[in-house]
Amino acid sequence: MTKIIVNATHKGGEGKTTNSIMLAEYCALVKKYKTLIIDMDPQANFSGRYIQMEYDPAYRGGKIPAIHPDYESNVDSEWDGRSSIANIFYGEEVVPYPTSIPNLELLPAHSHKLQEAEAVTKNEVLEKVHLQLKRFLELPDVRDSYDIIIIDTPPSKGPLTIAAVKAASHIVIPAQMEQFSIEGIYGMLQLWKQESYYRTKNNPIDLIGILPNQVRDIKLHKQFLEGLKMMKGVSDYVMPRVIKKRAIYTEILVEDANPKSIFELPPHNVARLEYESACQYIMERVFSHGKEKSISNQ
Amino acid sequence: MAKKKVFQISNALTEGLEETVSAAHNYSGELRVEAISLKKIELDPENPRDMALTFEDLTQGIDKADPDYQRKIEERTSLQTLANSVREQGIINPIMVYKQGDKYRLIAGERRTLASILAGKTEVQAKILDSKPDELKISLLQWMENVERKDLSLWERLMNLEKILSSYATHKKVTLQDITPTDIGRLLGCSLPHAMNFTAVLQADATLKSHIRVNKIKNLEKAALIAGIQSDDVKQSAIEACMEGATLKKLKSISTQDKAKKTLAVSPALPITRGRQMTLVNLGTTKKIPVARLIIDSVLQHEKVTHLRKHFSDLNWADYKAINHAFKQLLLTLEKLEV
Ligand SMILES: Nc1ncnc2c1ncn2[C@@H]1O[C@H](COP(=O)(O)OP(=O)(O)O)[C@@H](O)[C@H]1O
Ligand SMILES: [Mg+2]
Repeated sequence: MTKIIVNATHKGGEGKTTNSIMLAEYCALVKKYKTLIIDMDPQANFSGRYIQMEYDPAYRGGKIPAIHPDYESNVDSEWDGRSSIANIFYGEEVVPYPTSIPNLELLPAHSHKLQEAEAVTKNEVLEKVHLQLKRFLELPDVRDSYDIIIIDTPPSKGPLTIAAVKAASHIVIPAQMEQFSIEGIYGMLQLWKQESYYRTKNNPIDLIGILPNQVRDIKLHKQFLEGLKMMKGVSDYVMPRVIKKRAIYTEILVEDANPKSIFELPPHNVARLEYESACQYIMERVFSHGKEKSISNQ
Repeated sequence: MAKKKVFQISNALTEGLEETVSAAHNYSGELRVEAISLKKIELDPENPRDMALTFEDLTQGIDKADPDYQRKIEERTSLQTLANSVREQGIINPIMVYKQGDKYRLIAGERRTLASILAGKTEVQAKILDSKPDELKISLLQWMENVERKDLSLWERLMNLEKILSSYATHKKVTLQDITPTDIGRLLGCSLPHAMNFTAVLQADATLKSHIRVNKIKNLEKAALIAGIQSDDVKQSAIEACMEGATLKKLKSISTQDKAKKTLAVSPALPITRGRQMTLVNLGTTKKIPVARLIIDSVLQHEKVTHLRKHFSDLNWADYKAINHAFKQLLLTLEKLEV
């Protein structure tokens, strides 16, 4: 079955988008999995890495996806040529965008539409928003087209993040080893806990764990990491991998970077080795679990 | 030399993280909803029923010779509206069952189950428990479901909690007062500070509670802060400020007036509201003799006890009993010395 990984934590700047990018490119470039990526963050940074995003003429500062390459104005009379994941909340059709990376397709963000979904407060509507992504990703069309789906989320615990968690089979919590980040971890663990109450054995929500990110060789980071590893129960969810703070992780994102992906660097490059090892760990957890399950079910 | 800095994750945060993970493990799947075959559902013979109509009456027709014939016909007619709605949109609220062999025993939702059969369905959405729940379990399940619902008022949450705690007390054969915030945290899977706030508000006086009941005070943290204020005047002004929308920070600054006053007043005996009162220090135990030796040796460095050193010079450091005895003596002597 298609696995769905969500990168989430309600604090910003922790590495959700970075980790979504790395996982996406690892899956598509290295593993050659058929990969779908979804951007649930109105800031649309994840989308902007793979397709042209334009400023929304109607809402200042908002971003909308560029016209879809398959769009033909004289044939498609019902469609305005743009498509985003937010369409699922409006009963509109969703058309994934191809990217320059083979095997990698994107459902981009739409700032204003996502913000509207995030701002929902009425209970009946809220329940629909919470379940909508799950319903969409359960469609046989979607399941059959991809091996893996990777979702980036906004820095919040709101409806969009909850929707992503409800749709997920696996969660990754990227976090810096700093005070507010640990509080962010707490918030995410609570969402995971609440969701796990509702899951069946055949459809569990698996917390792969906390991925320590932007780690530097300073006492604060070491001691917070040690602190997490000492906690009862929590220690099982601290990934045995660490991502250091390295300029290359930011530099590779600029438009004319060469190469374009960490996984196109020479095989022995330290940054490539480091992130490849983290991605490998995550993907082994994601797929080995599935195997165990299918064996035990037979 | 500058003091060495140690960066630690706070105790409250640590406890919160640990409890969250343990609640996720303990209660995973507790609220799951699955479609189960209506054929597999049976009534719980221990539960009294309001209705005479049985599952078989619906599948096989009601027997004319049945002494309850007339009553059953009426019951079936009264189910028709619900059955129509089930036919159109399924049941909105899942029924609740527990596993009994390869069958499911009904806990809640008799009418919904009967209406589903009447609607010609083969399956029904059900919340499935692994075993027959007691009252505590049922209120806990309600809690787990309700904490996610944002439209629940503070008062409703408190009432829910009170129900859970009294079931828990009965279950454990303890009184309500014996339940500590740690117990509450474990029960609900919430953090200790959160549990302490609940404890404080549950024990609040009638005035504060009446404001919570009418939803004039809605925030748990604020309510807990006010509940902790001793002086009536200060408490009253905190309540007023809270209802006017004061922030937690503002309320904290009001409550410090309370603390300032308390040191001035001839302090009356303070009621113990949180945890057990401690009047002794337990120095703990260790299996490691070198550790015990290090502690004793360090104490003996103190100038006031130099005269005791000779008692330890011929202590057998391989004998746990002898070390225990010697340490107790040392403590007694230190207490007398009033160091
Ligand atoms: N390991 C790292 N080393 C250096 N910079 C990083 C690292 N991880 C993330 N960054 C940078 O930190 C910023 C925030 O990261 P991002 O992934 O956008 O966080 P989030 O999506 O959680 O808000 C970005 O500019 C990103 O390039
Ligand atoms: Mg981001």
